[in-house]
Amino acid sequence: MIALRIGRLDIQLVAGTPNRITLVGRIDDSTNFAELQRQIPPGEVAIDTGGVTFINSIGMREWMRLLRGLRDRGVTLERVADVLMTQMNMIKESATGTRIVSFHAQYACPKCGAETAPLVDAVAHAQLLRQMQVPRLPCPECGSAMELGDFPERYLTIFRSP
Amino acid sequence: MRPSTAPRHKLVVAHPERKAQRALQRLVGATLCPVEVVADVEALLAAVDRNTIAVVDSQFAQQRADLLAHDACAWIAVPGEGLAPADGNATATLLAAGWSHVVAHPVPLLSEELLATVQKLIRRDAFGLEKYMVWGAEVRSYTLDDARDRDAAVAELAKDVVAVGLPDRVGSLVSVIADELIANAIYAAPIDETGARFRAHEPRDHARALTGRDLVTVRWATDARYLAIEVRDQWGSIDAGAIAKRIAEGDKHVGDEGGGMGLPLAYACCNQFVIDCEPKKMTEVITLLDVRYKPTELGRFASFHSFMQESS
Repeated sequence: MIALRIGRLDIQLVAGTPNRITLVGRIDDSTNFAELQRQIPPGEVAIDTGGVTFINSIGMREWMRLLRGLRDRGVTLERVADVLMTQMNMIKESATGTRIVSFHAQYACPKCGAETAPLVDAVAHAQLLRQMQVPRLPCPECGSAMELGDFPERYLTIFRSP
Repeated sequence: MRPSTAPRHKLVVAHPERKAQRALQRLVGATLCPVEVVADVEALLAAVDRNTIAVVDSQFAQQRADLLAHDACAWIAVPGEGLAPADGNATATLLAAGWSHVVAHPVPLLSEELLATVQKLIRRDAFGLEKYMVWGAEVRSYTLDDARDRDAAVAELAKDVVAVGLPDRVGSLVSVIADELIANAIYAAPIDETGARFRAHEPRDHARALTGRDLVTVRWATDARYLAIEVRDQWGSIDAGAIAKRIAEGDKHVGDEGGGMGLPLAYACCNQFVIDCEPKKMTEVITLLDVRYKPTELGRFASFHSFMQESS
């Protein structure tokens, strides 16, 4: 395992099939993924971004560069952070050459008003997501079925069939 | 007996629906300026002159690209039929066409936003987030001493927001908005005598005292309807038209080496995006997040307003 700190981002890289990368922290002006790209062995890549807490416009530029640099070998995104998911859905290119298997999205409980960002399984619910719908998930506070707390386009455009 | 104020402007409301006409007339009538209501574009054009603030149904605004060529004090596009939220395409189309004021949301946001917009124009008093808050809201201010204070200011603001009981979702949006607005004020606002943005490519980890014209202030407030963030610089160099066009173009420029996606990203994170500028003196960008309603009850895209204030 290789541990890197790039700017305000902690990165773990575990070589294998696929190569697994875990990102924790902020993707911003201080992030440059060139060093990470150099260190990834050949083969497919799975990136877990569940620990990403912040991304700004310059960070998004770096993120897109990373995806472009890796897409030929196949990229799987796991536990995509809410902050990253909403920004990726604004960029058509995000859907090119990447496969999202799970992501966080803002849900709201219509009964008790709780707001939370649970993990959505994008493989199990692939058909629903393509129809721009999300599974109803249980509220962690009252157990009622929660609904997506935002416009579906902000999370699901990336799953829409071309 | 004399009235306390004499109206300086005329308002024209142009909307095809009688119910919407009534609502809009009452709204802008609160300015105590005379309001003329018309139901079609030809009547609108006949009623407009250089002292007129025209409040126009967004369908009319999209159908007639030549409207902005007619001299008026200001043109404001409002949502279409039934005062439902504007659709995203309408907002982008109008911004691309050069509209400076595009309201995206239904009532009650429309009421609050439209009256504040019209009064800012009538009173020629653009600056300050107080215009969007109720009287009792406390305003907190931060002055950055150094360019490297950006992260600390953003962190402090996000902490403040969560401390008043707003959800993490709002805290997260506030972080992105504040980061982009402050970065814009520190790095994009400064221009040299040729108009070049000479700090645009300055390394973001370098120390630089923010004094004199480099002074940057951040203010925020909430009144449980909105959360407002205001970032001010002392340059008055913003190109609001270019920003509107970037917003309208969506993701076309993401990944460009030149950057320039910061303010469009801040726009995408808020419900109302306001640029106030006194050229060569001061720019302020205000973003408003509605904290009352589910995002899906509002317009999918934010309202946009650009006010250019003449030098005093």
